[in-house]
Amino acid sequence: MSLAERQEAFLNAILDDAAPLPKGWGNSQAAGMAVYRGNYRHAVISALAETYERTALYLGEAGFRQASINQAIAHPPSGWTIDAAGEGFDGTCAKLFAKNPEVAELAWLEWSMLELATAPDTAPMSAQDFGAAAADFGDEEWGALRLTLQPRATARLVDHDLTALWQALGQEGAERPELQLPEPQTCLVWREGERPTFILVEADHAAAFAAMQSGATYTDMIGALIGEDAEPTPEVIQNAAMRAGAILGCWLQEGVVVGLT
Amino acid sequence: MSVIEPFGGFGLGLRRTHYDDFLSAPDGPRVPVDFVEVISENYMIDGGRQMRILEEVREQFPVIIHGVSMSIGSAGGLDTDYLTKLKRLEQRIDPLWVSDHLCWTRNSAHNSHDLLPMPLTEEALSAVCSNIDRAQNALGRAMLFENPSSYLTFPEDELSEWEFLAEMTRRTGCYLLLDVNNIYVSAANHGFSAMDYLKGLPLDRVRQIHLAGHDPATPERDIIIDTHDRAVADGVWDLYATAIAMLPQPVATMIERDDHIPPLPELLSELDCARGIADAALVPA
Repeated sequence: MSLAERQEAFLNAILDDAAPLPKGWGNSQAAGMAVYRGNYRHAVISALAETYERTALYLGEAGFRQASINQAIAHPPSGWTIDAAGEGFDGTCAKLFAKNPEVAELAWLEWSMLELATAPDTAPMSAQDFGAAAADFGDEEWGALRLTLQPRATARLVDHDLTALWQALGQEGAERPELQLPEPQTCLVWREGERPTFILVEADHAAAFAAMQSGATYTDMIGALIGEDAEPTPEVIQNAAMRAGAILGCWLQEGVVVGLT
Repeated sequence: MSVIEPFGGFGLGLRRTHYDDFLSAPDGPRVPVDFVEVISENYMIDGGRQMRILEEVREQFPVIIHGVSMSIGSAGGLDTDYLTKLKRLEQRIDPLWVSDHLCWTRNSAHNSHDLLPMPLTEEALSAVCSNIDRAQNALGRAMLFENPSSYLTFPEDELSEWEFLAEMTRRTGCYLLLDVNNIYVSAANHGFSAMDYLKGLPLDRVRQIHLAGHDPATPERDIIIDTHDRAVADGVWDLYATAIAMLPQPVATMIERDDHIPPLPELLSELDCARGIADAALVPA
């Protein structure tokens, strides 16, 4: 058996209790393997607990352990950093707690914040700087404007009041808030200085953010806000343009924009 | 490969719970250590608070970067992305040296995030040396490799661990990070003599010593587990005194605590024990 084959068999035995131990192993190797299996499970569960502190609080010990074990089975770590063991945990939670979709939303938020914590350092573009840069823009320049958003900033639609949930989980003994939002909102996640943070804003931010993050122009962003209306009226276009301005103003205010091209 | 000059001193692993201790008083008394060691992977990042703190600590102390995921024993070779990010950190921090473990952690698909034992065979030695050559060339400097603790040995073993380490240093020019606790743990688990281990090593290649705690064997479990979560055991202190007296050059000694991390004064007190033992061991008989 080659070294590669031995390592394959060894790792399979760690990941799967039912996997056969390598040929020629006796009781002493089996006892040692039990320690390595325990170390692996402990490492993954500890990493998840560190990343998903509030999700763990929300689920309670038994629920979080169940989710962690499912995650370790469904997504055995492949990256060199143990932090990556938490990648896709929101998906694991979505499957496991289908009747409580707020769990997956909370897990998504915590993962997004972990990603931001180590993102490249950038300086936000202030509204004044933006105003100065765009002072001479005509319609053509506005239409072609592209934004550079803070690295790893993200946004998605959510159905639950993550702000209330986040605050309640941060206070010992706080009552669980009403979570269901009357209508979906966008959860915008970015970094203020060194501190990851988030807010809930109007739902249309999500489509606008996705468009600009993928390199779209300001015109494209207005198009994203119009949506699937094939023949929008001038009033619809005007409203979308006004929303685009309001959304851009919000992002500048919060420090999500770091440059423009 | 480059030479790593001996550096004598006493240090600690920099842990998040102690960030404020290391940064709180820029004009006040400095934490009484000669160096700090950080886990490489925690800082192989783009930016943020953690990186800023490391750079501030680096302004006050020499820093050693110590990895747990290079997987120098992987039959499939090293991860290029990992090496690139480690090199970037090395250039950013200018560490005293860069170290990792004689172990493997992953195959092409999965990562155990544990320091898995190498079969002590000629084939494994060849793979390890080839990987060390690649890592040292990528970094442009010699590295240190730490002896691991282990919980099993392989029926196919052809060498002792100390023979493996000695040949590894001879072939690659790398240096050794001697974890005295790991020698103690593995000696107890596998029934070899810790003295034979020390005598069999090229001690002139040792540049650093780790000291840590372990979970002793129990009536139900006759394996000692290397936990790094408690104070250094008496038997490990004894072995440290022996090792220090045998080494032909000064080394950097460090208390390594990875779990159940106590307040900094407790670790500094343990470090004082190390200083005292080293002083006593080096007094001529």
